[in-house]
Amino acid sequence: MKKLLYSQRLAPYLFIAPFLITLAAFWAIPLGRAFIMSTQEVLYGEATFIGLANYERLWNDNVFWRAMYNSVRYMVLTLILLIPIPMALAALINTRLGSERIKSFFKASMFVPALTSVVVAGIIFRLMFSETESGLINQVIGIVDLGPVRWLREDIPGLIALLALAMWRYTGVNIMYFIAGMQSIPSEYYEAASIDGASKIQQFFRITIPNLKPTIVYVTTISIYGGLAMFLESFMLYAGNSSPNNQGLTLIGYLYRKGIEENDLGFASAVGVVILVVIMTINITNLSFSGTFRKESAR
Amino acid sequence: MAGLRRGRTAVGLVAASAVLAACSGGGGDEGGPGEDGRVTLDMWVFAELHGRYYEQMAERWNEENPDRQINLDVTVYPYDEMHNNLQLGVNSGSGLPDVVDIEVNQFSNFVQGSNPPLADLTEAAEPYRDEVVEARLDLYSREGTIYGYPTHVGAFVAFYNTPLLEEAGIDYTTIETWQDFQDAGQQYNEETGEAFSVASTEVNFIQPLLVTQLGGRMFDDAGNVAVNSPEAVEALEIQQEMFEAGALSTIPGGSPDVEEAYGAINNGGYAAIVYPAWYTSRYVDYMPDLEGDIAIAPAPVVEGGEVATIGGGGTGTAVLNSSPDAEIAADWLAFAKLSPEANVAVWEVLGFDPVNMEVWADEEVTHSEDNEYNQYFQTNLFDVLNEVQGDIGHFDGFTSPAWPTVDTQFTTSTLVDVFENGVPAQDALDSAQQALQNELGQ
Amino acid sequence: MSRRTDREKYALPRGVFALIQGVFLVSLTIIILVPLVAIFIGTFQDGNAVIRNGITFDINWSELSLDNYVMLFTDSGPYFRWFFNSLVLTVVQVAGTLLVSSFVAYGFAMYDFPGKNAAFISVLLLMTVPFEMMMLPLYVLVNDFGLADTYAVIVIPFLAAAVTIFFFRQYFLGIPKELLEAGRVDGVTEFGIFFKLVLPISKPAIAAMAILNGMIIWNNFLWPLLVLRSPEKFTLPIGLNTLLTPHENNYELLIIGAFFSVIPILALYLAFQRFFVSGMTAGALKG
Repeated sequence: MKKLLYSQRLAPYLFIAPFLITLAAFWAIPLGRAFIMSTQEVLYGEATFIGLANYERLWNDNVFWRAMYNSVRYMVLTLILLIPIPMALAALINTRLGSERIKSFFKASMFVPALTSVVVAGIIFRLMFSETESGLINQVIGIVDLGPVRWLREDIPGLIALLALAMWRYTGVNIMYFIAGMQSIPSEYYEAASIDGASKIQQFFRITIPNLKPTIVYVTTISIYGGLAMFLESFMLYAGNSSPNNQGLTLIGYLYRKGIEENDLGFASAVGVVILVVIMTINITNLSFSGTFRKESAR
Repeated sequence: MAGLRRGRTAVGLVAASAVLAACSGGGGDEGGPGEDGRVTLDMWVFAELHGRYYEQMAERWNEENPDRQINLDVTVYPYDEMHNNLQLGVNSGSGLPDVVDIEVNQFSNFVQGSNPPLADLTEAAEPYRDEVVEARLDLYSREGTIYGYPTHVGAFVAFYNTPLLEEAGIDYTTIETWQDFQDAGQQYNEETGEAFSVASTEVNFIQPLLVTQLGGRMFDDAGNVAVNSPEAVEALEIQQEMFEAGALSTIPGGSPDVEEAYGAINNGGYAAIVYPAWYTSRYVDYMPDLEGDIAIAPAPVVEGGEVATIGGGGTGTAVLNSSPDAEIAADWLAFAKLSPEANVAVWEVLGFDPVNMEVWADEEVTHSEDNEYNQYFQTNLFDVLNEVQGDIGHFDGFTSPAWPTVDTQFTTSTLVDVFENGVPAQDALDSAQQALQNELGQ
Repeated sequence: MSRRTDREKYALPRGVFALIQGVFLVSLTIIILVPLVAIFIGTFQDGNAVIRNGITFDINWSELSLDNYVMLFTDSGPYFRWFFNSLVLTVVQVAGTLLVSSFVAYGFAMYDFPGKNAAFISVLLLMTVPFEMMMLPLYVLVNDFGLADTYAVIVIPFLAAAVTIFFFRQYFLGIPKELLEAGRVDGVTEFGIFFKLVLPISKPAIAAMAILNGMIIWNNFLWPLLVLRSPEKFTLPIGLNTLLTPHENNYELLIIGAFFSVIPILALYLAFQRFFVSGMTAGALKG
């Protein structure tokens, strides 16, 4: 027994055992069941095999494609908004200039929105984007004589509200990631560049960004699947899973509606499998494209 | 060594909690009277007010049936939780109560297939069958078997803000048909610039009402969806016409039954609202400023139409098949929901229009001056009900298993298209039909 | 010497640049804080009015009152139960997750063994699988085994959290192997090395992951929503959500409860803030 505890050969397996058990029990098995259930129709606990009928129904369902469109659109827009902007802000903060106190206060405040729960944030934003004249956002745009806009009743305004919520919550977090990444870039690089006569802008593009690549890859990856899997933000903003013309319905929202609200477990499993394939494809592409797999395997 | 001990402890804790968790399922109830001679019935509800009502009904039952007493154990869950729990229970076959309140929109989920989990309540309803509004029993029946008892009629009526209407020169008592309604609304809107009635987008109520009044359906004989049936198109066109004439307007929140809407109505908007009778409790609870201003009148009808009104909304209370005490539960439930005595309480405690029509004739109860609803409204609810008695229809769609999907289609797309985007009713319904056929695989 | 070179590189004098930067940042901060301030003011207002009219700049200052605060501390029903549940669950789950995930990460970082690459790639892949994907089959599984409505089933599937494992691994890679050798020479078991030598020097990573996990777990909504049945077990986000239903809502409690729900996690963040960035820096994001 004692020998086991000292064995360097056995130890790693024991260390990673919890992960392997979790993987098997809580991911592999449910995934397997999902595959199986996707070929079935499930009612009151009884399952009947129906082959690929669920997938056919899915293919023909316009609501599913609308949800797909909504999720992809959201993902792309969050990538555009939530990577360059936080990166620029992080660079701004990371300089030696400016009041440290203001910068600290700014960093702390930017992060607080991420600490609120989605429930709370969704409620607040729904109330701010209220369609009445007295709604906060309508008052703001009223200053320049626009509106009032019926925010959550139309597609693009609703999208704006959703993106506002996303930016409010996650800009701070991404800024943190980028600051952490920037601080690990040795300052000698910058000093050498300054001596060579490079401007701050040039330094940003030639030194900062290339060295930030792992951070950028990381943030991009989590934003991709964060965007595609987004559900609660929309759910809370629209106070439930139904929005005008399904403008706020995301892939997971569709899954939730079919699986939990309509209790069509077989069909919902098919939806889940399809979404999983989509996300895995995108992510594996992204990761191998950035060489993560090769590097990590080589360690 | 300390490391190992800590490691072991951690693993041990995790394993122990997993075991504890697995063991924590409650022991099953074998049925029959307990030690005190009473049968214990577990009941789930989603509205605390209903819970208290049932407890009262249990006490009365015990007084009148000393040899068949019950212990009623009510648990109040939030709306979503309760229906999810129930869903889970019927899927796994365990963890179910004896009796449960199921909201009408969810009811179809539990009566599907050839072997639904709900008990047959037809026999227990026999003593009261003749006195009860049949349409409401139909709502919770499938193929002639009653699976749930209604809570109220929920007859569609009209609520008029008389002072506001008088200012615009409108006498609500002259409004009988939808054409009258539209004309009055147009006049009101032009005179005052204010909204007359509501074009709901979040709730799909007027469509079923109109369709049934026109004698039509939204499902065909085989139970397949037919939302673009001629009557359905006509019904939606009527609404669209009213909207364009200014008689209907959209409301903050999308329906009259949300917080934002209460605010708008309380502040003097929407002088005419056509909604089920239980909307009275919203006026009393949430719109105190309008006390004494609101008159209840019959809903507008279609000239030469089939029925005067239908019942809308509601909660069906059911007994679970798996309950070991299903028989006594059914008998008690019939008492608690269909007997005249219970129906008096439905009016007095819950403020709803009761299904047992004997109560409607009891003037002492219906016109009681102590009743807060009678105090609030200018006219008496039962006067209105008696006017339409015998003419209350049943919308076939409400009992279809596909209704939740159809309803969602309307509230997310069709109503929005018609009222927000000006899409012609025929087109909107045709595309809805297409979408629904896809979604339902029909 | 370098200072002079730096000065030449700025388009504007340093003072002006700092001023612009300061104003810009302060404005952004104010915009970011508006929603929170708005909800704070909302705690002094009538709940129904807030829901009806939305959050607005038109504040009727004379109508503000402490009624809601009084209500919270005297008559808030299940609120503090929810709060307490969340607190206990968060502490236990964060501690458990840190322990188990660092444990696993150590195995990946410090050893070479057959199958390591395959196993680690599955960690990476798992990182990219959002929970929402798995929630439905997990839900079915949990119910089939009658494990619903327990805190155990909320915690256990996520103890070996892929992201946390990844972070700790990166951090541990920076620890010199000599430390391990020294431990072995001293006769310490492999596990002892982990607990007694490596963990104590990993405080920045632990702090960073404590905040990250704490944030997520405190606000955890979807999975507990699916899994918890009994109202007395509800956590704070779920409890607040139940106040949103149209039947017998309690908007005052919702608003003030929502506001107070931010406080514990805010405290945690402020306490560990300095470790957060340094932990993240030292950890995951190096190339």
